[in-house]
Amino acid sequence: MGIAEQERDGVLLRRAAKGDEDAFALLYRRHQAALYRFALRMTGSAWAAEEIVQDVFMTLMRDPNKYDAERGTVGAFLYGVGRNRVMKHLERLPREVSLEEKNEDGSGAGIVLQDVFTPGMWAEQRERRGQVRAAVLELPAEFREAVVLCELEEMSYEEAAQVAGCPIGTIRSRLHRGRALLLAKLEMLRDVPRRASAAR
Amino acid sequence: MKCEEFEAIGLDAERDASVREAEWAAAREHASTCSRCAALQDSWQVARIQLRALAEDTDLAQAPARVEMRLRQEFRTRHRTLKVRRAAVIAAWALASAAVLMGAVSWRNWRAGQREEAAKLANSQQMAVAAAGNHQSLAPHSAASEDSLVADNEMNDFTLLPGVLPAETDDAAIVRVRMQRSTLGALGLPVNEDRAGEWIQVDLLVGNDGLPQAVRLLQ
Repeated sequence: MGIAEQERDGVLLRRAAKGDEDAFALLYRRHQAALYRFALRMTGSAWAAEEIVQDVFMTLMRDPNKYDAERGTVGAFLYGVGRNRVMKHLERLPREVSLEEKNEDGSGAGIVLQDVFTPGMWAEQRERRGQVRAAVLELPAEFREAVVLCELEEMSYEEAAQVAGCPIGTIRSRLHRGRALLLAKLEMLRDVPRRASAAR
Repeated sequence: MKCEEFEAIGLDAERDASVREAEWAAAREHASTCSRCAALQDSWQVARIQLRALAEDTDLAQAPARVEMRLRQEFRTRHRTLKVRRAAVIAAWALASAAVLMGAVSWRNWRAGQREEAAKLANSQQMAVAAAGNHQSLAPHSAASEDSLVADNEMNDFTLLPGVLPAETDDAAIVRVRMQRSTLGALGLPVNEDRAGEWIQVDLLVGNDGLPQAVRLLQ
């Protein structure tokens, strides 16, 4: 039996709980990308993001009754589980910046080039993005989460508060502090090459 | 508006639904008069553009196909195991129900057989009493039937009547009767003349033909 694309998540989840593999697959396809991006932006590691996405859907498979329709959408539930996994992952990690995401040819993993650049422009832009990525990944987890949700995922404060499970005021304050730290780090990263070239 | 307030709400006032229009206007005005906050706002705008560029790098990112494959595999394994377990439980219940049903039917049949046997025994008892009354001048028929009882089913201590050949006793019935001792003489057994008038209870083994085949004296 085919599944209509517009079938609601709750219906899909119930069908998946009864053993409908197609329903589970459709649910996965609907939500995996957003979860993966969030995990990737939070951890800076494609491998970790992959593990987190897998873990989230394994949780859903093992215990679909954990989802309570009265508390929100399936998407929000998955985001919440994903967020917990991300935080656990970050807690386990030593405080270091992952500068991976490099393929064999040196390009960043998942980077999609949409414009045509000269090699010089491309290198400069790549360097700048690397600096921003490093600066984001160096932020403490709570501030990083606020920045990722509001600036990278472009969520509203309300949505971000819902995902993070905290009041809007907390999100605002975390974002404020996160921005300040991020600006300071970017300044510092920009100054390093300047100082290095001045020293030469 | 002070610089601290501007830092808190001014950088993102247009996206923060809780910031009122008046506060937003005050933030803009503050930025136009305070060079430090204006520079901060500019820096943040640049940083935001860079963040957007970083976001675009991963906007199309999604979990590799192998994740879906692994999850599907796990899903199949999990639900196959569940199905097998469910089938085993159903089979166990079905077997148990069948066993209970068979037991009930067997018990019912056994009970019906018992009842039939009891009815047969009662019939043959009546026939035996009638036959004994006709042939061996037992006690009056009415008295005999009143006094006769269904004896216990043991075949011990029976004495074959003279002229009777040992035969299968499966279909024979045991009938308890009260009669005078002299009646034993009529059945061909030796009787003490002194006690010939004495009333005694005996078990008669009555064959299919309704004739007594053996007798057992009760104490």
